[in-house]
Amino acid sequence: MSRSLKQVAVLLVALLCLDPHSRVSSAPICTHGPSGCHVPSLADLFDRVIQHSARMHSLSNDLHSEFEQYFLPSKNSIGKIYRKCHTSSILTPNGKENAQKLAREELTEVILKLLMAWRDPLFQLHQSMAHQQDFNSFSSNKALEMGDMAHELRKGVEKVAEKMRVLGMLGNSVTGLSAAETMLPISDSGEAMSNYELLYCFRRDSNKVQNYLKILKCRIVPEHDC
Amino acid sequence: MRNSGAVLILTFIAKLILQAAGVSPPGKPRLTSCRSPEKETFTCWWEPGGDGGLPTTYALYYHLENSETVYECPDYRTAGENSCYFNKNDTSLWVNYNITVVASNALGKNISDPVEVDVVYIVQPNTPENVTAVVVHDEQGPFVRVSWEKPRTADTRSGWITLIYQIRVKQEKDEKWEEYDAGMQKYYNVFSLHPDKECMVQVRCKPDHGFWSEWTQTTYVKMPNYIPRERSLWILITIFSIFIVLILTWTLNVKRNSMKLCLLPPVPGPKIKGFDKQLLKSGKTEEIFNTLVIQGFPPTTDYENLLVEYLEVYDNEEQELVLDGKELSEDFMKSKSSSDNDSGRGSCDSRTLLLEKCMDGREGSGSDQHQYSQHGETSWASTESSESQGAEPGSPESTDGRAKTWPVVFPQPHHHYPVGAVKPAYHNVPEILNQLSPHATPSNYHQLHHQDIPQQELRFSKSACRHSQSYNQFNLDSIDTPAPGVPPLPSLEYVEVQRVNPENMLLLRPLSDPNREPERSDCTGEDYSKVKVVTSHNILLLQRDTSHQCVDDYSQADQCTTQQPPHPCKPAVHQWNSVMPQEGMRVMGNGYVDSTVLMPSF
Repeated sequence: MSRSLKQVAVLLVALLCLDPHSRVSSAPICTHGPSGCHVPSLADLFDRVIQHSARMHSLSNDLHSEFEQYFLPSKNSIGKIYRKCHTSSILTPNGKENAQKLAREELTEVILKLLMAWRDPLFQLHQSMAHQQDFNSFSSNKALEMGDMAHELRKGVEKVAEKMRVLGMLGNSVTGLSAAETMLPISDSGEAMSNYELLYCFRRDSNKVQNYLKILKCRIVPEHDC
Repeated sequence: MRNSGAVLILTFIAKLILQAAGVSPPGKPRLTSCRSPEKETFTCWWEPGGDGGLPTTYALYYHLENSETVYECPDYRTAGENSCYFNKNDTSLWVNYNITVVASNALGKNISDPVEVDVVYIVQPNTPENVTAVVVHDEQGPFVRVSWEKPRTADTRSGWITLIYQIRVKQEKDEKWEEYDAGMQKYYNVFSLHPDKECMVQVRCKPDHGFWSEWTQTTYVKMPNYIPRERSLWILITIFSIFIVLILTWTLNVKRNSMKLCLLPPVPGPKIKGFDKQLLKSGKTEEIFNTLVIQGFPPTTDYENLLVEYLEVYDNEEQELVLDGKELSEDFMKSKSSSDNDSGRGSCDSRTLLLEKCMDGREGSGSDQHQYSQHGETSWASTESSESQGAEPGSPESTDGRAKTWPVVFPQPHHHYPVGAVKPAYHNVPEILNQLSPHATPSNYHQLHHQDIPQQELRFSKSACRHSQSYNQFNLDSIDTPAPGVPPLPSLEYVEVQRVNPENMLLLRPLSDPNREPERSDCTGEDYSKVKVVTSHNILLLQRDTSHQCVDDYSQADQCTTQQPPHPCKPAVHQWNSVMPQEGMRVMGNGYVDSTVLMPSF
């Protein structure tokens, strides 16, 4: 009985292998647009990305407040600790007009640059927080989550850019990020930045990213919420 | 050294003089807050620390982070007194401003503490505008629709700033405001407002990271007077009540019969045995009443008294008889109590009675015994007579072959008593036994049996060695047999249970039998009562047996130890088996209990 079953199975497998048409290959589900499935529109993509960035920013805000509360009681000392963020070399618009003057491509590029610049530092931050005994596991988990979010956000923004390029909204001037863009969070004095400084800088940068994305969305898909 | 010292002293003196004059350098100013209404400009306010009596000027200086260039406030006027307004050109986001205020007068100056400000985090928008509240009439009832507009300065269109709104509502005479979050939309419907009351509405907004704006001015709206029709509630109540009614109806239907019984209990019809309704309907009253007549009822004798009497009377006589019995076999005297007096003994000890009682002892059901004893008519052979071989618990006297007598009233012969008295069938024993009268023929069998008797037959065998046996069998249930009439019972005689034969038959023997001779092995002239069966209540029902055999059927030959050898069986040691045949009652022929007088005493 089992022998016959084995033979049948072997035959089937052979048929499957030999028959080219039955070969299963992975393929995207919705390659042909709205014919069968729901393809998220650009507006949807933007919404998702903006939500994601909002979450990321709130996480960074929480962590920063924790730091301030437990490790830096006196406000006066804050100014002294300030060092330049490692992302300050990236030129970012610091006002509404400046941001609106930027082209879509440039704005997108700025966003991507920022996100890229924070990939490694966030990982470092999580590592150092996990090793230090001062932090509870909850904080270090937040840091880890933050790093993951930044990574996903970058992927999402890349998808949005891709979509825009497909739709013709973006020119081809958006260059891919080279490896040289990755920066090390080393301050002017050469010392590695402390956790607090990293958090401070990241809070600001995540706010920038969120803002830029909103501007981009309302410029490109201004139907609702704008 | 001397000069500095002199300078110091002079300064000190000057201060003193100035203080006496009431003037001093300005107090330290303090920056109270900085706010940006639209994330494009911002304003900082400070409070002076005291002018020191002299006109004081204030100057605000700031520098950006990581830059040493100090700038002064560009606009002191736009925002009012003691404020500094930073316009769009001067405002940079995501950059820390380090701001200080310097107060200076003729005597000196004072510098406030520095404040770090990042404009992005100090956004507080203006209040929403054009708040309108309108009453909308709906099927469900009227509600209020509140709508507003964004503050003019906030630029939400370009996505630069995102605002979320909140409204609060209060009806007149309420103490607390009800707050509702409206999200990013610019309208809101307020329900559950009370009719005919004035309603106050306020709105405010907040950016995603920032401070809440102030509440708008109150907007008033008056609710109309309407009666809330809570239709859904009534529908629910109706359905629920219908459901309950249905359940009740169904329950009543199911329990219809018991309800009838409860409400209208049936009137019990006449239930008289032997009473023929048809006869009544036909109207022949005489016949009806004739059927009701019980011959010989009511009993005119008091059996209990009789019993007592007999106990007393037969005391001595029985003694002799007992002795007779004893001669027959030694086994007779296994009785625990040698006294003949009944007093102080258990019922099983009583010679007169209670066959059932002792039988119950075997069977373990004592309740019936008590029942039995209550009637007093335990004029059955004592259980001892029926007890089986060997000492058994509950049989205080294991008498073998000892005939017991019980008081029996001997009525006229051939009395038949209606079975109507079922349980109290034994009531009638005396009557029945009355039939025995001395002129009862030896072959006079009166059979007593209960209609409901299980098919056991109790036979108490009497050995042939027992002599005169009279078989008394009484037939209780034959109403048909005409009773020759029930004379008053003049004499009451006792019938002794001579023994219990294996066939579970009580062999009775009238005490007054002149023919009675304990040792006679003659079958004739002895009266035996054959017990047909012992009912569940341990009532011995004597059986009317037409056939009369005594000697030949005794199969218990081995048991008899009589001195009468020709007799196949041995009488004396009659081990009184238990009444229940399962216990190995030996049946001796017809198994009649010899009712010879062996009762020791009553």
